[in-house]
Amino acid sequence: MMGLIRAIARHPSGRIGAAIVLIYIVAALLAAAGLTPHDPLQQFRIDRLKGPNGTYWMGTDLLGRDTMSRLMLGIGQSFTIAFSSVALATLAGTIIGLVAAWWGHLWDGVLMRIMDVLLAFPAILLAMLIVAIAGTGTWTSIAAIAIVYTPIFARVVRGPALSLKQRDFVDAARTFGSSQGFILTRHLLLNLVAPLTVQVTLALAWALLTEAGLSFLGLGTQPPAPSLGVMLSESKNLMTQAPWLMLFPGLAIMLGILGFNLFGDALRDILDPKTQGRAA
Amino acid sequence: MNYVTQRLLTFPLILLGVSVIVFVAIRMVPGDAITAMLGTEAGLLTPAQRQALAEYFGIDQPIYIQYWRWLTGLFEGNLGISSIYGRPVLAVILERFPLTLELALLSMVIALAVGIPAGVFAATRNERASDLAVRLFAMIGQSTPNFVFALLIIYVLSVYFGYVPAMGTFTPLFVDPLANLSQLIFPALTLGLAFAASVTRISRSAMLDVLSDDYVRTARSKGAPARSVVWHHALPNALIPVVTLSGVEFGYLLGGAVIVEEIFALPGIGRLVLDAINQRDYALVQGTVLFIAFNFLIVNLIVDLAYAALDPRIRLGNR
Amino acid sequence: MMHWTNTKRLLAGLAVATALSSIALALPAQAASLRMAWSQDATGLDPHKQTAFSSLRLLELIYEPLVRLDADLNVVPAVADSWEFTDGGLTLTFKLNPNAKFSDGAQVKSADVKASFERLLNEETAAAARSNFLSIASIDTPDDTTVVFKLSQPDAPILVAMATINAAVVPAAGIGTIETTAVGSGPFKLDSWSPNEKEVLSANANWAGGKVGVDGITISVLPDETAILASLRAGQTDFALLNDPLVATLVPNEPNLQLNAIPGLAYNVLQLNPARKPMDDLKVRQAISCAVNRQEVLDTALVGEGKVTGPLTMPAYASDPNSLFCYTQDVEKAKQLMAESSSPDGFTAKVIAATGEPPVASSEAQVLQSQLAAIGVKLEIELMELNVYVDRWLAGDFDMAVAQNGGRPDPYPMYNRYFTKDGNLQKVSNFVDDELDSLLQQGRVETDVAKRKEIFQKFEARLAELSPWIWLSTSNTYTAQLKTVKGFVPSPTGTLFGLSAVTIE
Repeated sequence: MMGLIRAIARHPSGRIGAAIVLIYIVAALLAAAGLTPHDPLQQFRIDRLKGPNGTYWMGTDLLGRDTMSRLMLGIGQSFTIAFSSVALATLAGTIIGLVAAWWGHLWDGVLMRIMDVLLAFPAILLAMLIVAIAGTGTWTSIAAIAIVYTPIFARVVRGPALSLKQRDFVDAARTFGSSQGFILTRHLLLNLVAPLTVQVTLALAWALLTEAGLSFLGLGTQPPAPSLGVMLSESKNLMTQAPWLMLFPGLAIMLGILGFNLFGDALRDILDPKTQGRAA
Repeated sequence: MNYVTQRLLTFPLILLGVSVIVFVAIRMVPGDAITAMLGTEAGLLTPAQRQALAEYFGIDQPIYIQYWRWLTGLFEGNLGISSIYGRPVLAVILERFPLTLELALLSMVIALAVGIPAGVFAATRNERASDLAVRLFAMIGQSTPNFVFALLIIYVLSVYFGYVPAMGTFTPLFVDPLANLSQLIFPALTLGLAFAASVTRISRSAMLDVLSDDYVRTARSKGAPARSVVWHHALPNALIPVVTLSGVEFGYLLGGAVIVEEIFALPGIGRLVLDAINQRDYALVQGTVLFIAFNFLIVNLIVDLAYAALDPRIRLGNR
Repeated sequence: MMHWTNTKRLLAGLAVATALSSIALALPAQAASLRMAWSQDATGLDPHKQTAFSSLRLLELIYEPLVRLDADLNVVPAVADSWEFTDGGLTLTFKLNPNAKFSDGAQVKSADVKASFERLLNEETAAAARSNFLSIASIDTPDDTTVVFKLSQPDAPILVAMATINAAVVPAAGIGTIETTAVGSGPFKLDSWSPNEKEVLSANANWAGGKVGVDGITISVLPDETAILASLRAGQTDFALLNDPLVATLVPNEPNLQLNAIPGLAYNVLQLNPARKPMDDLKVRQAISCAVNRQEVLDTALVGEGKVTGPLTMPAYASDPNSLFCYTQDVEKAKQLMAESSSPDGFTAKVIAATGEPPVASSEAQVLQSQLAAIGVKLEIELMELNVYVDRWLAGDFDMAVAQNGGRPDPYPMYNRYFTKDGNLQKVSNFVDDELDSLLQQGRVETDVAKRKEIFQKFEARLAELSPWIWLSTSNTYTAQLKTVKGFVPSPTGTLFGLSAVTIE
């Protein structure tokens, strides 16, 4: 573990990615602790639509709320959704992938075809349909994004699991009478950690993107709580009067995704020696 | 059973799965074509009026009967009638599809034209400053959500250049190529940017792989000029993963870019499906989603087959 | 520094592309055709069934009712030249304009009027305005230009109810194809319609109202109103319908543009659901009414566009809002009322609102949320897609709802559906009061205008005091146009009929 952290710190893009993600997490934690420059929900009505200035570093919105404070809170909201949905998708995808690979035959066929069906839907459409059915809210966003990305994890897990299954050490464990559950968890999971870790980091970037897309279409986080997509969507019709309302959340989404992507690439370089130094 | 037959057999199965999910899902969404048409005024309907409207929209039957009707219609090439347009769903889709197709092609052209040279260039300057710069740009491009980029483009163009996004009326390429391009160039740039970034990254890493291969080293040692080694010996082989990636991305783009089409007011497939969902046009939602899934699967199939043809190892293995 | 050259190339490319696009778009359009844009397209062509704002606005250009309302909401001739109530208000006779013709050249005859109203009244048609015409007992057509409506009871509001496009006169022969072909007697005829894309209209040479000022109208759908504004600014659109006050406020900054803003009949309202606790308690509802600062909601969420209003929005009947219960914010009184109520410690309620419909709904809910927090009422906002919202709204399935409800030029049809005992939207308001019910019935029967005003003033004052809903403000209806477009007269009903008189310089 310490080795991994050191390796990331040595990796140039890993360093930048980790730094961005850390800064975001710190900002989100500060907001969660109430340590924002202003109350993110308070409407300072005399200061509506003020550009960036000494009091409001990133300006104020239509209702006179401080953009910077809302941005910090919004990062927290977007990250909560991204982390929770990816955690769910990893869990579900891993189970499905393992079951498919381990039991094979019918299980494999049925489960993986279901995954294929889900993959054949455009991601944002599938998420939109799920949200439309279940109603908007933080939990539905999490569930929708998790369902969209589960098939990818199932595929990522199934491939290596299938080849590991044939390998000697699993056979050996089997003959020595370990229970199936023990074999699964111990050997397979250990060998799956590397590809999963990389996939999780990249999925975090997509989840952030999907959340922003959903919120942008008004199907995500509910007001007055901000998320990055909500803020961007609110800014759309104020673009010419108050460009800062669009600029800061837009940059924040971009940098957040960039952070996860850089971090993910570094992890891939470190954990998968085959591509050492290849991914940009 | 060999790989190709297996793929061809599961193909209709996946489409069937997609159709069942979308059929059930859209009916689980609250509201129906009646509330979509009348809004809050739907409350003024008597039960008899409501029943008459439900019959009119064909939503009065139990869901399995509706599905059976729809499925049998499908085999006769009939996707049903759109309640928004009052016309056959297939006709509406085919009317919208050229725009989406053209936009996808244009984005791909931009992506390949920018991405491949940039990737090759970066690979030949491995780890030098210019390589790092290209990689950084590619990374940023890949990390920018297309709606953020679209909003930025519109902001810059409308404030500084007085540009106006395409009017609601789309001019087909053959009617007026200039007007058509002026409508599609910025949406295509928006979509092409992230696409180009992926192409850059993948062609760079593929190029690095190939450059370290034996036959390239041999060519080099025989004194072939560096430029010729890169472009004639290495590039053709490095293109295989680029083709795969472009194919998959292209498959996605054929599904329409919901948000970008919405921002640029383009009447493509993406906005069609969004409108259909919002107005609870069940037949249109089913038809469009099936059409999108079909395209996506076909493109993927072609890519896979091409890949298998290029790389004999795949034909034997079972993925 | 390769990326730098690339940036320059990109910029050059952009400039070329922009130049191309302006060349392409600078090609002259048809000389005197009006280029119009709106963000939401019509949803259908059947004038008797459509209720969507854009559909009505489109169909008003194509069809005509018997009578219409002018900009001051007076009833003026359309297909009918004159009309008269006789027989103690039980007979209503119309004389039709003998020159009125449908766009296919056929004369508009009494038989067409009869067929239209019979279609409207037929339950199977599911006509939007059917409930307004239930007092019609029979329709006689003594000759081609005379129509006599026999009423089962005196029904004063029926004349105004006839002045909407939902009561359009359609050709009797064309009823079978009404959903796909629009043949009307209005100033324009529909040449083509591609839903969510565009409509092409041309002037109806047969229109009895005289010569139309333009050759035609092309309506484009541009879903983003910022884009509509950009298009106006660039001179590519002559005339546009705007919904978003934020966008509308930007129009006057443009030297070549003119904004037409007119207070509409629709109202923004916070609907409480008195069927649910604690909104069943009059004191709670009144406390909410007193705690709300209506002007502030208007100023922030609606950027000041509109007017604070009581329940009645039509100028002829509306009282001065300041005379109504607690229309000046009084937080002390609100706290007092809360303390005396069944929930002295405050409560939490969920308020539903639709995304984008109206565009300000979300901001409105958020300002109300912050105002009501002051008296311990905690609002949780549930923002939902319009259809989902409509479903919940119709079922009365909400604690509170931020709504923008349509108005009518007459108070009776505007509120009978909510606040009479057998009103068909009773389950949306969930509120019954004997006195309100009786006042509405009196207003329906009374034909004397002065007495009606008195009745409805009492009605309005009582409604505001009982506070089943918290009426906030009317919204402006906006159109924006190039200054080269002359002669448009906007109307509180939002109709674009004024386009028939417009000319382009």
